[in-house]
Amino acid sequence: MNQATMKTSRRKKADVKFVISKVVTYLLLTALTVIALLPFVWMISSSLKSSIDVFSIPMRWIPESFRWENYVEIWQKVPLVKYFQNTVIVALVVTFMQIVTSSFAAYAFAKMQFKGRDVLFMCYIGTIAVPWQVYMVPQFIMMRSVGLYDTLWSLVALQSFSAFGVFLMRQFYLGIPNDLSEAARIDGLSEYGIWARIILPLAKPAIATLTIFTFVNTWNDYMGPMIYLTTDSVKTIQLGLRRFIQAYTAEYNLIMAASLCSLIPVTVVFLFLQRYFIEGIATTGMKG
Amino acid sequence: MKKIVSLVLALMMLATMGAAMGEGKTTLTVACWDLATTPYYAAIENGYEAANSNVDIVWVDLASQDYNIKASTMLSGKDTTDLYCVKELSDMQNWANEGHIIALDDYVAQKAYDLSKYAGMDACYVSVADGKQYALPFRADFWVLFYNKTLFDAAGIDYPTNDMTWDEYADLAVELKGDGVYGTHYHTWLSAAVNWAVCDGVNTLADGDYDDLAYFYELLQGLEDAGACMTYDELKASGLHYSGAFAQGNIAMLPMGYWYASTMCGYIKDGTASFDWGMTAVPHLDGVAAGSSFGSPTGIAVSAYSANQEAACDFAAWMCSEDGAKAIAATGTRPAYVSEEVAAVMASAEFMPTDETSLAALLPTAIALEWPIGEGVNEIKTAVNEEHTLIMTREISIEEGIANMEERAADYVK
Amino acid sequence: MTAGRYANKRKMSRLERKNTLIAYSFLAPNFLGFLIFTLVPVVFSVVLSLLDWGGGQNAEWVGLGNFSFIFDEFSFQDSNLGIALKNTVFYTAMTVPLTIVCALGLAMILNRGVKGANIFRAALFFPYVASLVAICVCWNFLLMKDGIVNQILGAFGIVMDKSWTSSRDLAIWAIIIVSTWKNAGYYMVMYLAGLQGVPAELYEAATMDGANAWQKFRKVTLPMLTPTTFFCSIMMVISCFKIYDVVAIMTQGGPGRSTKMLVTYIFELSFGGEGIATSAQYGVASAVAMVLLVIVLLVTFIQFRGEKKWVNYM
Repeated sequence: MNQATMKTSRRKKADVKFVISKVVTYLLLTALTVIALLPFVWMISSSLKSSIDVFSIPMRWIPESFRWENYVEIWQKVPLVKYFQNTVIVALVVTFMQIVTSSFAAYAFAKMQFKGRDVLFMCYIGTIAVPWQVYMVPQFIMMRSVGLYDTLWSLVALQSFSAFGVFLMRQFYLGIPNDLSEAARIDGLSEYGIWARIILPLAKPAIATLTIFTFVNTWNDYMGPMIYLTTDSVKTIQLGLRRFIQAYTAEYNLIMAASLCSLIPVTVVFLFLQRYFIEGIATTGMKG
Repeated sequence: MKKIVSLVLALMMLATMGAAMGEGKTTLTVACWDLATTPYYAAIENGYEAANSNVDIVWVDLASQDYNIKASTMLSGKDTTDLYCVKELSDMQNWANEGHIIALDDYVAQKAYDLSKYAGMDACYVSVADGKQYALPFRADFWVLFYNKTLFDAAGIDYPTNDMTWDEYADLAVELKGDGVYGTHYHTWLSAAVNWAVCDGVNTLADGDYDDLAYFYELLQGLEDAGACMTYDELKASGLHYSGAFAQGNIAMLPMGYWYASTMCGYIKDGTASFDWGMTAVPHLDGVAAGSSFGSPTGIAVSAYSANQEAACDFAAWMCSEDGAKAIAATGTRPAYVSEEVAAVMASAEFMPTDETSLAALLPTAIALEWPIGEGVNEIKTAVNEEHTLIMTREISIEEGIANMEERAADYVK
Repeated sequence: MTAGRYANKRKMSRLERKNTLIAYSFLAPNFLGFLIFTLVPVVFSVVLSLLDWGGGQNAEWVGLGNFSFIFDEFSFQDSNLGIALKNTVFYTAMTVPLTIVCALGLAMILNRGVKGANIFRAALFFPYVASLVAICVCWNFLLMKDGIVNQILGAFGIVMDKSWTSSRDLAIWAIIIVSTWKNAGYYMVMYLAGLQGVPAELYEAATMDGANAWQKFRKVTLPMLTPTTFFCSIMMVISCFKIYDVVAIMTQGGPGRSTKMLVTYIFELSFGGEGIATSAQYGVASAVAMVLLVIVLLVTFIQFRGEKKWVNYM
């Protein structure tokens, strides 16, 4: 065997290895995707059945007859359009407020030295650790006394200032090397300037992440609206969904149809923002 | 600018309020659940407003599965909703203890209101702490046996009667079992499985002695093993609801609360179910009078934070009176107020079965309380329910489960 | 000498004060809302753990009475708190590592420049987006006695005669599986965002030093992801300790008490369980929450210390 053939065989070996690793990767990804999506197939199938057929045992993946009218019925049975509107408004306002206030506050926690920083930060984390069910009643009393009960503002107040956002942004800021902000300080930039010109542009992936999470959480929140909203005209989508589970009947086919519809806006937000995950710090030309 | 807007808004609000007052119309807000699917709310509203033109009833619909959470939170926040329907008896006890709802004794005495027509159900709303009446019952559901006449006819078996023992019932269920047809159906609740032990009026589920449940557990597990009913495991995992299950038409019998009658009427009306159905009294044990059942009332209480307590009391009283009872009965629901006239209205509700047996089943001989009231009952209820799930999933034997119930309840039995 | 030091110190403190003021101005918009709508009610609930309060006008000071009630009511092993604590810790100990491994693994794969990464990413994130009721009902079906999961297991010779949620041993695993399934995509996104922050030069340098893939992962990726991992693990530990909704919809804490969690217990004390009306023991419920808080703060504190050590390396 001469040198040349040995080299080609080695290269061939590497090629084979490469191909195998690719195949394994794709197989794995496909398998995981199937697992992730399997329940949704069931949801789609159930959303096309009658409320009784949903429970038929053994279950059928493909309904005997397709009840497309379920998708019409959900809009007629409850004022779903109004609920969608309300939820969109709340989700947008909350997300906006959350991003602005959190990205601002997180800067102090991540990039500045001041008295009581760690204690205050523990306070933030501490409140995340307390289950909402425990301070729900005191919070309700507060909210009522400031006159926000039964308005969409109560949800805005409830979710805009969450400790979660501050925590998330702080963690991302920590990953941005301090040399950058130090250099800017020497150049005479104020702290606000550093935040606006250096940190914020680098934190795009974090902002995209926070946007998605805040939007999804607000969108899917049930307990908050359940406690704070009573009048039909201010209710949100999750309250509407639960209306298909009534005391004496549970129309899971309609729940499935409505929750599939309610997936659409969130999916759009995700698809729109997901490019920011790939186009992050690494590609903005920053050199750590 | 903002200030001006809010000022204008405030003025407008004042103006509308003034206009409303000018008309002298009082608005009463009433917290309830399942407004859209429960026909009697509208019936009550129409009936009362017809008799009292100066009052406007506004229902506040709270999600049924979270009713107690939301209602309790609203009361803690001193919300101005005037009246609250009472879904669970112990809710009322808590609300009374916390001063959320007002005692109605003065009102009852002043108007010489007759509590004797509730067949004892009014006693459920007497506070354990101070002995005062904090709510009135407007609905009283007891359990009956629903059956599918079409399936009985197909099997060539006689309809069940109002006097049937549990053993006879079990035999019947096995006999009715067929291809894809179940003889009977048990919902996953503790009440559906073994609450029958209290029908004799001697025992309660909070007395710490659960030997009498063994018979019913054995009966049920026997039926499961014989394939005469769906298994608990299946029902729990699928979340299948009894209402849809029975409406499917392949279940011959269903022991269930009377409230299901109005649901069935609705199913017949909209075509969800298309078979003949009837009701009988629930089966009984040897030595217990036929027609004995158990049940629970649903009541109405007046909020301590209501601005119109007088008017609210008046509405509550009407809702629970004979007139209110008739309005409720006309929708196929059983009111707490019992009289011949009310029973006649109930029987004539649209889509109700009209055979003699079904009509007779409307008048049970005795109704025991599903769960008694008192301190520690909530804890006992939790413990018994938890052990119930273990028995029903067959994770432990019936004897073991009952021993656990007794051991855990002993800590709370007063 | 002395005078100079004094002046220096005063200068420093003035700078410090100015710095602190600026820092507070950054915090203020968030903190005000946070204070009113979260911190005050939380502090109230801390006080509540020392009171006997049922939501009404009268509250009675009971000192540590609520704590002694939950701790030595009966033998701890069989008490509701003991069982709920055991279940919650087990659930957390299983779910957190499982989710982190899945999330990090998925993020690593997707970050390698797979074709169709957009689609895979969206698909894997999907479970997080869906409404919980629909999802839990669905999983209950998949994990039924004759459900697809048991059928697949059957094909491998593992015979299951029960639904997962009907078994004392498996019910908690049903909860773990559903939680992991739902949240892996969520944390995957976190990791993806974190991975973007790892400078390519570090990998280039590692390659030049002759590091293999595993070494690069150990020496570059993992350390650089520390802030993300810190965040994810703390959020996960906290949310696992607070698990409620999945349990409430899928098993209601059963069978028996096999999936009763701390918050399930808190809920039961405050508002009763399924078909069981309010107990309105807000004081006792708060006491349970304080136990939860102390545990979580302890875990957070340890992780916090660890993070400081790590991040200083950078």
